[in-house]
Amino acid sequence: MEETADYKKIWTLCEKIFPILNDFNTPCNDEEPFLKNDFEEMCYFMKLNGLQDLLQHLVFNKIEKRLRDEVVPEFWSNFKKSDKKGFKPFYNAIKSLYDNYRKFETIIIRLELLRQATDIKVNPYNERNLHEALKLILHSCLLGQLQADYQTVTTSFYEAALKIEDIDETNVNAVCVECSEEKDNCNCVHFFQETNRKIGEMGFLEPLVGQTLTNLSYNYILNHIQKTCKDNYDSFISGLEKWLHTVVITCLKKIYYFDSTLSLNESMEMFEKKLVNYLYNSYTKVRIDQLFNIVIEYPESLPALEDIRLCLPRTDLKPLLTKKLQRAMETRLLHPGVSTTDILTAYVATIRSLKVLDPSGLLLETVTYPIHQYLRSREDTVRCVVSSLTEEGPNDLAEELNRAEPVDENTPIDDEDENWESWTPDPVEPNPTKKPSKDVGINRRNVDIISMLVNIYGSKELFVNEYRTLLADRLLSQYTCDTEKEIRYLELLKLRFGDSHLHFCEVMLKDIADSKRINQRIKEDSEYDENNIQLSTMIVSQQFWPPFKEEKLELHDTVLKQMEDFTKAFETLKGSRTLCWKNHLGIVNMEIALNDRTLNLSVSPVHATIIMHFQDKSVWELEELSKVMQCPPTILRRKIGFWLSHGILTEIKTDVFSVQEETESQTVTQEDFYVEEFESESAMASAQDQKEEELQNIWSYINGMLMNLDSLSLERIHHMLKMFAFQGPTTECTQSELKMFLSRKVRERLLIYSNGLYQLPK
Amino acid sequence: MKVTIKQWTGVASWKWVANDDNCGICRMPFDGCCPDCKLPGDDCPLVWGQCSHCFHMHCIVKWLQSQPVNQQCPMCRQEWKFNNK
Repeated sequence: MEETADYKKIWTLCEKIFPILNDFNTPCNDEEPFLKNDFEEMCYFMKLNGLQDLLQHLVFNKIEKRLRDEVVPEFWSNFKKSDKKGFKPFYNAIKSLYDNYRKFETIIIRLELLRQATDIKVNPYNERNLHEALKLILHSCLLGQLQADYQTVTTSFYEAALKIEDIDETNVNAVCVECSEEKDNCNCVHFFQETNRKIGEMGFLEPLVGQTLTNLSYNYILNHIQKTCKDNYDSFISGLEKWLHTVVITCLKKIYYFDSTLSLNESMEMFEKKLVNYLYNSYTKVRIDQLFNIVIEYPESLPALEDIRLCLPRTDLKPLLTKKLQRAMETRLLHPGVSTTDILTAYVATIRSLKVLDPSGLLLETVTYPIHQYLRSREDTVRCVVSSLTEEGPNDLAEELNRAEPVDENTPIDDEDENWESWTPDPVEPNPTKKPSKDVGINRRNVDIISMLVNIYGSKELFVNEYRTLLADRLLSQYTCDTEKEIRYLELLKLRFGDSHLHFCEVMLKDIADSKRINQRIKEDSEYDENNIQLSTMIVSQQFWPPFKEEKLELHDTVLKQMEDFTKAFETLKGSRTLCWKNHLGIVNMEIALNDRTLNLSVSPVHATIIMHFQDKSVWELEELSKVMQCPPTILRRKIGFWLSHGILTEIKTDVFSVQEETESQTVTQEDFYVEEFESESAMASAQDQKEEELQNIWSYINGMLMNLDSLSLERIHHMLKMFAFQGPTTECTQSELKMFLSRKVRERLLIYSNGLYQLPK
Repeated sequence: MKVTIKQWTGVASWKWVANDDNCGICRMPFDGCCPDCKLPGDDCPLVWGQCSHCFHMHCIVKWLQSQPVNQQCPMCRQEWKFNNK
């Protein structure tokens, strides 16, 4: 039994050297010395009996058991107390874990000695050495018992740490944010570093807190971006990247400095890539969210746009951009609450800013497709475009028109030839809304804003027509002969739309200039006598002007006499030609002297005629005046209302009006005030009236067709009309308009509709 | 009350005093211009023949040039003579 005794003795020795073997409850006291002789004896025995591998195995088993059953649960128990937020729980957990780890380390050191002495070849867990093996066990135990919400604790720890690191926040008060101690007494930074060192030494920086750190950094970056970019459209991306390196990465370096598993450079390089990518991504996203505002603020927001342009190739957010911008447009722009002018302004801004983002214009086309659709549905679009084109004052479109070089189809080709090396193909992206239109594709890169606006309608005619009406309105309402500006605009428009389309407008402007000359000539005429009324006339070539609104009006005799004289003078000046007066059009500058006041007014001929009649006879009945002026009483009453509101006439009884020579006390008497009547009625017939008239003209064609061919379908009628009838400058009638017109005729029993065919009633 | 008209700006359209609205040759309105012209009125005047028919000057001149033998009014086939009234 000596052998047994020997074994027992050796076992005691083993237990003495590796107390963990005995009872894992006893703390393995690394201070406890062991005798060199004991150790040597044990080694000798082990080697003799070949038990060294077994011993190493036993010790590791014990370490593992102890870690699993005792140390790690204790560690995680710190995490369960979720009420403790902030710094301490994690710090304490790491502290106790580390203390235990140190103890295991001493065991490992002794095992190392054993290995050297007994020449153990086997490495536990196939690790490089025992320390690695210990770490492996620790990691597996830790992660094996991972708490579901461990991240809240780590997050709050690192959040606190970041707060301390963040210079901005600590600068404000001299007290540490975490422990509320005076800065000088605060040990938080020290604790923090100590904890990191310990985690790093145990080698689970990345597995345990890597994700937390990443998340935290992400949040931190995102917050910073949002804070920086809020309502500010400067360029930030380079600044942000610098900030990322100086603040976030430096801070992370401090933590990863202790990482024992990877070299600092290696781990940081990985992290940096991740963070920079995230920075770009989230910056672009933030900007995309703001894009609508950025677009509206153009050109102040140009730096932000440049940023997006830089970021887009590095991220994959183009589809998101398209989608978000389109949605923003739809919710913020394309609804009835926004005026057409505003939509147009926004549209112009969109065109300009998206050209910055994507010179190929494909993005623009995709994004603006809904705007096109919407603008097409608005009636006043063309009018708005035209009026803002020619408006005075700061205006995008007017600037664009002035700036513009004529669009020449040859230029783009030259351009591309020169830069063939830097040519890039159009970006490839699914574009379901795009119509297959070849000619648009070719010129997309060079399309300018005005052509884009005109292209909304796809027809120059409509646009030019609207311009003609507006021009006529302006010429007739201003009654000034300052046509220089208009001529300039016309020249600019001619560059775009070609001479032939604007020929009518040219004649109109020439009419104005000619009128000026003719007026002067007639006034110099010795036979022409101008003692009654200073008369000047706009002599228009009716064929070239849009149709005037017809209104019947008999002017006052003195005016008529003057006009007769003027006509005579004109007839002598221009042989075989005469004048047809548009009595209701024009403007009259008059002075009205009453007993207690004098007024200077610019009024329309109707108003002037009324007041002139009242000069002859101070009391008029409505009916009577209506007969004299050949103006319907209802309209006349409205016109008299103008004088009532000026306090010059009063209604003494129903439908009887009289001059009010003296103002009653409540009206403020002003010696001489100048009132301009501002009735924004167009002198031109409204578009609807015009259309109606055109359709009436068409009716005779249709009648003729049906007489010869008996019955025809809608398509056929439309086709034939297109061939024969639609040739004037304004005539253009869609099939649906025609259908509406025809069904009205059917209702009026002038047509019969059956089996999809129209027929004349027998 | 005394009303003084300081300035009356009226609007009138001019027209040719002719017995028809359209030119018998080009079928365009007299108050417009012949197909070759851009500007109406002085730049594209009317002329009357002694037969009392009238045309755009450019139109009738073109017509007369295209008639090698007899210079006739295209409307009434009488000999064309300008009426210088």
